[in-house]
Amino acid sequence: MSLELKNIEKIYSSSLENTVYGAKDINLKIDDQDFVAFVGPSGSGKTTLLNLIAGLILPTKGEILFDRQAITHLSLEERTAHRLSHMGFIFQDYQLLPVLTAEENVEFPLQLKNMNQKEIKERVSWALEKVGLGSLHNRFPRELSGGQQQRVSIARAIASKPRLILADEPTANLDSKTAQEIIDLFKKLNQELGLSFIFSTHDQRLIDQVKTIYYIKDGSIHEKKTH
Amino acid sequence: MRAFLFLLKYSYRNLWRSKSRSLILIFSLSFGTGFIIWDLNFATSGSREVMKEFLSQYAGFYQVTHPDYYSKTAKNVFSIYKTISDDDFKDQTLFPLSTKRVTSLAFISGEKKTLGVLLTGIDTEKEERLNKLKSSITEGRYLVRGERKEILLGKKLAMRIEAKVGSTVAVVGSSVDGSVANELMEVVGILDFGGGDLEEGLAFTQIETAQSFLAMAPERYHQRVSFDAINDEPPVLTNLSATSWKKLLPEIAVSVRFIDNFTWIVSIIMVMVLSLGLSNTFTITFFEREKEFKSLNILGASSRFITMSLFLEVFLLGTISVVIGIVFGFIATTICSFYPINIELFTGGKPILMGGMVIRPLVKFYPESQYYWQVPLMIYFFLLLSLVYPLIRLIQRRKNVA
Repeated sequence: MSLELKNIEKIYSSSLENTVYGAKDINLKIDDQDFVAFVGPSGSGKTTLLNLIAGLILPTKGEILFDRQAITHLSLEERTAHRLSHMGFIFQDYQLLPVLTAEENVEFPLQLKNMNQKEIKERVSWALEKVGLGSLHNRFPRELSGGQQQRVSIARAIASKPRLILADEPTANLDSKTAQEIIDLFKKLNQELGLSFIFSTHDQRLIDQVKTIYYIKDGSIHEKKTH
Repeated sequence: MRAFLFLLKYSYRNLWRSKSRSLILIFSLSFGTGFIIWDLNFATSGSREVMKEFLSQYAGFYQVTHPDYYSKTAKNVFSIYKTISDDDFKDQTLFPLSTKRVTSLAFISGEKKTLGVLLTGIDTEKEERLNKLKSSITEGRYLVRGERKEILLGKKLAMRIEAKVGSTVAVVGSSVDGSVANELMEVVGILDFGGGDLEEGLAFTQIETAQSFLAMAPERYHQRVSFDAINDEPPVLTNLSATSWKKLLPEIAVSVRFIDNFTWIVSIIMVMVLSLGLSNTFTITFFEREKEFKSLNILGASSRFITMSLFLEVFLLGTISVVIGIVFGFIATTICSFYPINIELFTGGKPILMGGMVIRPLVKFYPESQYYWQVPLMIYFFLLLSLVYPLIRLIQRRKNVA
């Protein structure tokens, strides 16, 4: 997997007096098994960058290449299909579907991919085992703790075996012990499965664990650090 | 198929996320469905009962005549020269609930005045069995069979020509042999149809008297009037013509059709108003769930998938409501088919005047099976229509964000 952002600019609103940039002059490259964090204060443009990479929004200028293919030229539905095929998502507030059990939540993207039932079953069991939730598969999100819900969310992200996981503030809603467990889980999945991770975070514990840190300020990369 | 079942499960569970809201929607829709089924049955059965009541008084449901008896251009113009006899019914069904009639336009003179009337010669015994003519006599008596030169007059007619029971009136007309027909007849009864115009233009005598008056052979007559069906189309006959009441009384047929169509129009407007309310509810619900739709899209769900899941939710809502509504409608209609409704409940106790006759029917329901699919189809149609606006708004907002 290779991801490249070339001269990316995203303008949210523009007038003669003021131009609001979500992203400005962004150039970066992410490779297989990378463990990357976008760090910065609220409103700095971290989430905009994640949204651009995911194809949820289009840049005003520049190009995003995924495996050397420009996703910025794809239609809305093509970008949705691209996300389904290549990316997994983890949200700050988990975003589990409340009417589905843990198992069914993990199954959800696999059903969207129209996989056969046998394979779906195997993948769901595998993903839930990986996150340590094998025994809680029949519980609804409301019956799970915050940490458990985030684990289900991770299982859902990895079940379709994507190559890139995008995680928006994944530890922000968790207590420190659970947050550490989740960070350890990310590291394990990165090492064992070779998944690339891009985080948007200001959790120092997570920042300390990543290989590459991009400090974002006013939509631009202010600094890049490598551990 | 498995993916569809998953989607169905997802949509069904979503339907019950807000139980109270869904229950209110289901109750409104099922009550609406049940009520419209009941109301359409009431309108159809009501107009049918009113017609039955009206036609069974004396008009009959259809007439069999000589093919040229009625003018081809105007049904109220007829020829007394075009007669039929029982021989014309050979090899054809001779309707058991039918009676022969002889009709003629005539002038009736009382002591001071002469008026034009429709004089009808009737088979007294058969008419007594088949219709309510006899029960409309308020003074005097019914006709006695045979050529007895007796006559029944409408109340208003009797008043205008100043004739009473026991009076002798002069009747003048045109015979079928071309001569002038004239006869003195004794008024034996006065008919009261409730005060309508009909009382001014009708007179009845024995068929034998009418045949003699018109110089017709005893086996000849003008009409065979059937009292055996209301909705059935008249039979197709060889060398004879069968004309339904709908053609003979077009203004009344139009009124009946108007009642049926008007009930449909009111039902459609009712469901349209309901669907506007539903559209508003769906718009609010979809906005509340916008974050969820965004997450679904991030996870890879296409617009088609999201639209389909919402469509299925509404379809399930509609199906549950329609099934309950059909049960409601069926129960209410069945109860009313056993316990008729007095139509005077809706007229403040006043009788209905139709075609110059007073109608006092008890509406017994005759459940019409087509309403059990027509009404649900209409509900589904408007339910889906109520989805259009919220879906368009949702798609527009998504495109704007992207």
